[in-house]
Amino acid sequence: MEEYHSGEEVPFNPDEAINCVKECIEGIIGGVDYNQNKVNQWTASIVEHSLTQLVKQGKPFKYIVNCAVMQKSGAGLHTANSCYWDTATDGSCTVRWENRTMYCVVSVFAVAVAV
Amino acid sequence: MDELQSAEETAFAVDEITDIIKEAVETTIGTSSYQHNRINQWTSSVVEASLNQLTKLGKPFKYIVTCIILQKNGAGLHTASSCFWDNTMDGSCTVKWENKTMYCIVSIFGLAI
Repeated sequence: MEEYHSGEEVPFNPDEAINCVKECIEGIIGGVDYNQNKVNQWTASIVEHSLTQLVKQGKPFKYIVNCAVMQKSGAGLHTANSCYWDTATDGSCTVRWENRTMYCVVSVFAVAVAV
Repeated sequence: MDELQSAEETAFAVDEITDIIKEAVETTIGTSSYQHNRINQWTSSVVEASLNQLTKLGKPFKYIVTCIILQKNGAGLHTASSCFWDNTMDGSCTVKWENKTMYCIVSIFGLAI
């Protein structure tokens, strides 16, 4: 059940954000194996690029982009998040990506700003 | 919306929040060893308990709490986050906790309303 507000308030569109983030991930770690020396650089690039692309969409949101890259070595990893916000306008999406040697989980949170 | 609040009431209080999170993590997994079948429950409890305590502070913020629990197995884990917000009023803090069998990383983001 959604209320559509005509005029300024637009709810967060997760599909656009998911596509944007997938492209950023592929572009940065698409064809590479886990490399301890470079992983710092990768996580920083992924969050920066994703954020830049999201901001370019020009929507009235504050964004938080979170990225975790983990080496595939049999360890268990669980993440959870909980948000206290305005459910009519704010939203989040999470992209899970993997290749042969690592997992990458990127979460985007978008919080509406008063226009 | 009342905008005439003093700076202390509306600033993101990193220290207070760090303490709240440490307590939530200790209470939930303080004495436990990594267990695959309980992990879902633990991550949910940590974020819920943290969020409940944060909202009790009664400050004019929206909150996002994320929790990562990782088994100690030699795997490498890196996380990064980037935020597009109001630098003067919004803030974040991260708490890293560990015991003999697992790491727990909790991040809080607070956005002023």
